[in-house]
Amino acid sequence: MNVGKTIFVGSLAVLGSGALGFVWRDLKQGKMPDAGATSRLAGVRTVAKQSSEEVFRQTFSQIRHGYYRAVKPDSLKYAGIQGLMGSLGDPHTIFLPPRAAAAFSEETRGNFYGVGARLQGDTLGAAVRTVFEDGPAYAAGLRAGDVIIQVNGKKVSGQPIDDIVQQIKGKEGTLVTLVIARPKAEKPISMQIKRARIVAPSVESKYLEGSKMGYVSISNFAEPTTEQFDKELSRLDEKKITGLVIDLRSNPGGLLDTAAELMSRFVENKTVVTMRGRDGREEIVRSYSGAVRNWPYPVAVLIDENSASASEIFAGGLQDYKKATLVGTHSYGKASVQNIYPIIDRSSAKITIAKYYLPGGEFIGRKVDDDGIFVSGGLKPDVEVELNLDGEIEFGNPAKDNQLQRAIDVLKTKN
Amino acid sequence: MKEVKSSTVSVVILVLAAGAGLLGIQLRDRVDAPIQQANSMVSPTLVASVENDVTVSIAEGDYFREIKSLVEREYVEKVTDEQKLAAGAVRGMVGSLNDPNSLYYDKKQFNTFLNARVGKYEGVGAEFALVLRGEENLAASKEPDEGGMSAEEALASKARVPRLMVTSLTPGGPADQAGVKPGDLVYSVDNHWVINTDMLVRFQKAQREFAAKKISLSELNQVRKEIRAKTERALLPMRAWERLMMGTKGNLAVTWERNGKKRDTTIAKATSEMPGSGVIGNAYRLALRQGAEAGLKQYLQNSKAKPVRIDLRQNTNGDFAAMQKCLAVLAPTGTYGMMAGDRAETNKPLVVKSGNAAAPMVEFLVDETTRGAAEVLALAMQSKGRAKLAGGKTGGAAFSTLVVQIPDGSGYTLVTGEYKVSGGAK
Repeated sequence: MNVGKTIFVGSLAVLGSGALGFVWRDLKQGKMPDAGATSRLAGVRTVAKQSSEEVFRQTFSQIRHGYYRAVKPDSLKYAGIQGLMGSLGDPHTIFLPPRAAAAFSEETRGNFYGVGARLQGDTLGAAVRTVFEDGPAYAAGLRAGDVIIQVNGKKVSGQPIDDIVQQIKGKEGTLVTLVIARPKAEKPISMQIKRARIVAPSVESKYLEGSKMGYVSISNFAEPTTEQFDKELSRLDEKKITGLVIDLRSNPGGLLDTAAELMSRFVENKTVVTMRGRDGREEIVRSYSGAVRNWPYPVAVLIDENSASASEIFAGGLQDYKKATLVGTHSYGKASVQNIYPIIDRSSAKITIAKYYLPGGEFIGRKVDDDGIFVSGGLKPDVEVELNLDGEIEFGNPAKDNQLQRAIDVLKTKN
Repeated sequence: MKEVKSSTVSVVILVLAAGAGLLGIQLRDRVDAPIQQANSMVSPTLVASVENDVTVSIAEGDYFREIKSLVEREYVEKVTDEQKLAAGAVRGMVGSLNDPNSLYYDKKQFNTFLNARVGKYEGVGAEFALVLRGEENLAASKEPDEGGMSAEEALASKARVPRLMVTSLTPGGPADQAGVKPGDLVYSVDNHWVINTDMLVRFQKAQREFAAKKISLSELNQVRKEIRAKTERALLPMRAWERLMMGTKGNLAVTWERNGKKRDTTIAKATSEMPGSGVIGNAYRLALRQGAEAGLKQYLQNSKAKPVRIDLRQNTNGDFAAMQKCLAVLAPTGTYGMMAGDRAETNKPLVVKSGNAAAPMVEFLVDETTRGAAEVLALAMQSKGRAKLAGGKTGGAAFSTLVVQIPDGSGYTLVTGEYKVSGGAK
């Protein structure tokens, strides 16, 4: 084994202390180093047993200085921290680098400086889908159905919708000039709009003529959601509706307190959710007293696999307290609570701190198999119906939304 | 866009502000100011002060330490293995390079990778590379590595998803016997479609065509349905790699793609070997492993052939240091081009310090299975007129690669330079 030994010693000199650490473990255990193991590691640099921080530092420096293309140190650092948090295997424990963190906080507060309209892509530019009634665009005369073709004198046709939105948004109080095409107008219309702080409504409602029912769509659970919900509901109540459909499809959740407030419209001083943290610490969130509404008509709630978190707490609570019929497909199954920790460089860390249980005690956490395919979890609807993808889909229009139509049918049987 | 789900679901959150007795304090307090209040538990060095409007940068080591202890303190389950956190960070950093030749391998994968470097294979008995083909038009994304992403997220993001391509085969091994050839792309494994951006591109095209009224809604829905069916059971490339490279029992149903045509095979997994250095026919096969230069030297001394024929085919994962030693056996002292990066600190001339003054002329047998260190050797010798290349075009991956193992047993590869003739003395 002379040859083997020479090679081994030779490789020590090349590999340096990292290899020493590797071999040392074998030597200490009274074994000759495994020839297979050492030859396999020929040319492989090893980082000896060190603190995780040291492993991180060394790898960071290796990539920063050794990688053949230039790397931005900050991006590398953030990618590392994202990976650290990703290693827990919990999709909800994540690191948000500065830009993503800002977008997140904007999203949950529902505020941004804009003109107060929802847009969607169009071949001519950006089609106006909704105009918020208390926003500046509405005051300036912008209406749903208009198509924005110019922003501040620049044509926007062919641009991605996100880019167009970016041009329309800006500092509070500044002006933006839009040129729009309106279906029945002969010439394009130009208008100046003052950008303002917009509170995007998370609740939109519609009176369904045919069935005389109310339709309320909640897009997420933000701070103003409860107030908006009350307002929209009062509007519908004036029409003497005979049933209400609350649409939580694709509602990813939001603030737990909003879910509790909405629950308080149905039940008072009842468990909304039980949270169990580390070491079995437990906290029960209850609905408030004195906010219960009168419900003279049946309620149905639409859910799908994109209904998650606060949506599931709200819908699950209504189901457990028998206040509503759930219609649609099973929900996502997000049964954990996260906390957000802001960090001094404007990034933040979102960490799962507790798991939650619905009033009936059930845990709805999502389970997937090795291939990431849904196995169980989420809320099970009382009436299961898939969205029909074959025709044109328009949410909120029973003729083009078979799940809504089904919910209406269910409500009719309860009247 | 409901069909190709974005990552919204994973962004689903309950925002709660923390406080010292997190689960003990009143709900009301937490929710009124969800973001700003959440800091009393974070170490003072990292906590954001709310009025703070200055951009602060925190050194990477401190950052890691603080986030690590935050996670250890707050996460719902007890965190016991700090090396796992470090490995995650390494995975994230390597993944952020978005480089199909710089890859993180978990412990099992890295073991497989190391075995392949000494010629020992399981699974189908082939070497694979991740390649980006015709997808360069998609903007590179800042997403972390594929391991942290679901298939849906990978599709929905604009990440360039590389494809898994066969670069070499163990002679007589399972894949070789099944007629697989270098250059074949893996299309599906056990009926799991291996994700690539073709689907996303196709869907976006269909959407544009629908918007321009070139196709009907039912045609758009057809594409939508097909994508759904595929993505529900999609495999990310490295997961497919794992299935192809590991195990010695059972069969794998693999669909390959060659020139746009698909081919189904059933392959029995088994061990197989990539031969080491030695005379094969009228040439010397040079496997660039540790100690390869000794055998090469001996062969040169004994060989009468002129030029000396050296076979560099089936040579995709050679060791760079071993290659440099072989270069010193095959070539006189001098500079043979350089391993170049995009800045001064990464430009390293390929220098032979004490070479072989009496080195003979060499003919290298090369083709697309000549990659990495072997390819650098061929190109470096050719650049100085020391060798002729016979066979086909080389693999187009003339990189020097650093291989690093970290304490938890996982590891990564990092490209440190790409071979350039100019820059060194020509």
